[in-house]
Amino acid sequence: MKWLILFFVFFTRVGAAQTFQTESGNVNFLSKAPLSEFNGVSNKLHGLIDLSQNVLDFYIDLNTLETGIGLRDKHMRDNYLETKKYPFAELTGKMTSIPSLTTGSKSIVVAVGKFKMHGVDKEIEVRGTLSKISSGELELVADFEILLSDYDIPVPKLVFYELAEKQVISIKAILKPK
Amino acid sequence: MNRLILISLLAIFPLSLYAQLERKLENENQAVELVFHSPRHINLLTVEPLSKKTLHFAIMHTFGTLDGGIQNLFGLDNGANIQFSFEFALSDKFSLAASRSSQDKVYSVFGRYHIFQQTQNGDKPFSLSLAGGGGVNTSKYNFLPEGAPNFSERMSYFGQVMLARKFTPKFSFQLTPMLAYFTDPREIYQIEGTENLYLSLGFSGKLKITDRSSLALQFIPNLNTDLRSNFGIGWDVEAGGHVFQMYFVTSQALNEQYLLAGGNGTIGDEFRLGFNVNRIFSTGKKKNK
Repeated sequence: MKWLILFFVFFTRVGAAQTFQTESGNVNFLSKAPLSEFNGVSNKLHGLIDLSQNVLDFYIDLNTLETGIGLRDKHMRDNYLETKKYPFAELTGKMTSIPSLTTGSKSIVVAVGKFKMHGVDKEIEVRGTLSKISSGELELVADFEILLSDYDIPVPKLVFYELAEKQVISIKAILKPK
Repeated sequence: MNRLILISLLAIFPLSLYAQLERKLENENQAVELVFHSPRHINLLTVEPLSKKTLHFAIMHTFGTLDGGIQNLFGLDNGANIQFSFEFALSDKFSLAASRSSQDKVYSVFGRYHIFQQTQNGDKPFSLSLAGGGGVNTSKYNFLPEGAPNFSERMSYFGQVMLARKFTPKFSFQLTPMLAYFTDPREIYQIEGTENLYLSLGFSGKLKITDRSSLALQFIPNLNTDLRSNFGIGWDVEAGGHVFQMYFVTSQALNEQYLLAGGNGTIGDEFRLGFNVNRIFSTGKKKNK
């Protein structure tokens, strides 16, 4: 029985080392419209990668996105993202295959899962790179594109030249072992 | 032994709990924003703050009364009272402004301070702001037999408290107790009042009709004089960094002091067409990646 307990303790440790978390990942979106190009940034991406159970879970409080112009941020929150009703953008899913990570190596990973924003769920596929950096932390870099119309966010004709329908989202996060 | 197994099981149990992160707001007291489209709503200042280091520039016009009909192009021929106003935010709570209206060539300065903002979690059920300032009438009065008024006789002041709530995403309402004081309200000034002190209570309403436009209403009864009450009805349109406001109002005044002391025409015939263009400029450093 002692062996069994030892086994559990060992298993727990291994399991724990396979779980990585962050609360300060970087999210950037780029809107490239004919007359205006701007980006928005937040450093409040929360994320979890569990390599043993193959679970990915990321979310961001959309209120923390900043574009550099206060009024534009207010319009973004109030008129487009409606953050009072839908405060989060979330991505939950898994990797198509779990990479075997060794320190210093980079692996291309493909995540499939549900992206949820503005009250709409959509299955998406995101390609990124996952690497184990020297301190035992995981570094994730990924980008993907979304269409605002897919998430019921209409771009009015009056501002279509200032706000792009296609938004390029980039994620960069360093996840610490849990 | 069973207990040991149980403890061991408990030790690994948290693993499966981590399957999804708990969703947490970064700021529980997120402010309710865009209670009004801009720092002005028809004539009255609002609780809508400017972000630090942004400049709000407003060009405001009111024309002649509608009762001249097509002959005077519904008042447009009578010339406009025009006010240029610049308001700069020193912080997210405090801004300073300077304005000039053509009516009596009044130069004003005022400050606006936001005590607190309504929050989404209801911790603060409304927004509360203060504004106050003064202006000087710079018209030439050399032709007057009694001589031109001196500097202090040309002064007027105002103070107001703004209390507003966004009741629903579509409907916002503001209550504005306000006062104005003229050191020497002469007959030659373009005001109907003859008192020094004017007290009133402003009511402002905003009803969103489409995502980016609203119906605007304003009612400002005078409390201590028998001057007519001010009434205004308008249409606000938000277009990127601009807010356009078109309205009919009973007063030609554009600054607070003249708004209270200036007197009002009757609703309908003596409405005047008004038009404000609000633009917000951001002067702070833009954030890049």
